[in-house]
Amino acid sequence: MPEAIQFGRFEIRFDERQLCADGQAVPLGSRAFDLLAALVERRERLVAKSELLEVVWPGLIVEENNLQVQVSALRKILGPRVIATIPGLGYRFTATLEAPRDATAQAAAIAATTGSAVRLPSPASRARLLIADDNKVNRLLLGRTLELQGHHVVSVDNGREALDRLRSERFDLLLLDLEMPQMDGFAVLEHLASDSALRDLPVIVTSSVEGVAQVARCIELGADDFLHKPVNPVLLKARVGSCLEKKRLRDQQKELIERYATGAAAAEDRRDGMTPGGQRLPATVLCTRLRDFTAYAESEPPEETIELLNIWYTLMFDAVGSQGGAVNRMSGDGLMAVFGAPMPPADPADAPLAAVRAALDMVEMLEIFNAERAAAGKSQLAIGVGIASGDVIAGTTGAPRRAAYTCVGETVNAAAAMEVLATGSARAILIDEATQAAVAGRVATDTVIAAELPVKELAAPVHAVRTS
Amino acid sequence: MNQTTIDPATFAELQATAGSDFVIDLVDTFAEEAPQMLAEMRAAQAAAAAERFRRAAHSLKSNGNTFGALRLGEMARTLELGGLPSSAEGFRAVDALAAELEHALSALKALARSRIE
Repeated sequence: MPEAIQFGRFEIRFDERQLCADGQAVPLGSRAFDLLAALVERRERLVAKSELLEVVWPGLIVEENNLQVQVSALRKILGPRVIATIPGLGYRFTATLEAPRDATAQAAAIAATTGSAVRLPSPASRARLLIADDNKVNRLLLGRTLELQGHHVVSVDNGREALDRLRSERFDLLLLDLEMPQMDGFAVLEHLASDSALRDLPVIVTSSVEGVAQVARCIELGADDFLHKPVNPVLLKARVGSCLEKKRLRDQQKELIERYATGAAAAEDRRDGMTPGGQRLPATVLCTRLRDFTAYAESEPPEETIELLNIWYTLMFDAVGSQGGAVNRMSGDGLMAVFGAPMPPADPADAPLAAVRAALDMVEMLEIFNAERAAAGKSQLAIGVGIASGDVIAGTTGAPRRAAYTCVGETVNAAAAMEVLATGSARAILIDEATQAAVAGRVATDTVIAAELPVKELAAPVHAVRTS
Repeated sequence: MNQTTIDPATFAELQATAGSDFVIDLVDTFAEEAPQMLAEMRAAQAAAAAERFRRAAHSLKSNGNTFGALRLGEMARTLELGGLPSSAEGFRAVDALAAELEHALSALKALARSRIE
């Protein structure tokens, strides 16, 4: 058992079950400490939510919300980046442990924590590739070439088996021969195109077929690229690299769509399938946006912008999820979340309060993130949040995926309008009259006058939530 | 067409990219597989199965080119694209391919094991 592990200004003292910052003890709940210890011990990998729930609340049936609350609490102390959310999968500890003064002792400490020798994460460029080719010489040579280029390779000798493997295991890329027994390459391409789970898998066709007609047919059927055999290794490397990069971008987009609806929306879909059409039900809608983001995006390199958005979305999703809300729509630098629908809370009056608390969490998380950015000499970010309560029309619209859960109506428009006002004023969180009435006495608010806002006059009262 | 049995540049490049030891194994694999492809061509010819014949010729072409057995590749290609030969001439063409394959295989085995210092 190691006594302590250090990262950044933090030190985890296992024997005392204590987290310290700059040598000072940080007050931390017992569950939060267990969660942190569990993530640190498993830091070389992504840890599933179910696993964390079992470690932190052994033997108990606990809702995922509790985990999100603990993660949020840890992020407030450690900073937003130390624990990364891998949407739909779990969490990962990302901080680098301190370079030890005594390397041997530190290595021993780490080995003792993880219960094994330290494993280095595999480099991002190493991908899992599937080769389908009935010709043994071709299969061996292609496999060898790709392994020498650093990839993990699995080979099969017909199209049928290729499809079976693709449906049961995760691969980053398929290298596909055309002429194969049982099922040829064209048929494989057709099956892939009609399979929603495999439609986006990059495919490079490698063949020595003659004539452009066959090449054209492959591309029409969805192949990303075509390489003539014998395959030139340099060309192969370039094409594989480019396909993997494209896949990475597509995966990021998919991830964004997956994030579209968090916990509640997914649970609803599982429970009773789709509810096409829609129903009118009371809910609270929260809209938020980064202030002046367009100007930021134009002045910063694109990688910086994407990374910033990823962090921002992670923080916002956590704030929404930990208060029981569901993110319903994402649009570049903004998002919309719903509280109280599709799963109504035990007490419908709780939805407005949950939304306001989520907004306060958002502002607080952004402050921590801003402190980090200031330390790195980067500009400060600000958000505007608008909240409105009332009836919404909610339902799943047609498509079989939960991404199609939608929410529309006057209340959505009102929240969007509040958000526009908040983004254009000095007030971070603006709420409508109905929300104010529901949270009165539990959250401190001020009535806002038109002069504070970018409008001439107000059609309805607007309230601001005090943020500090 | 006057080509050497094995194109030295192609073969050297194969060794350089895949490794000389690996190429020894790869040549052995080809030596095991190629007679089966040839047998398949003959069987397809006897059964008048044009598609089977074309596919087997296609495989031999592909592997021949990989090793730099360019003449073998060219002969296989002619058979692949020429359709099922029905006459005695067709059988002679397959016999000629078989002879070239034998030359190519012995040349490949020798080349693969000769260490160029």
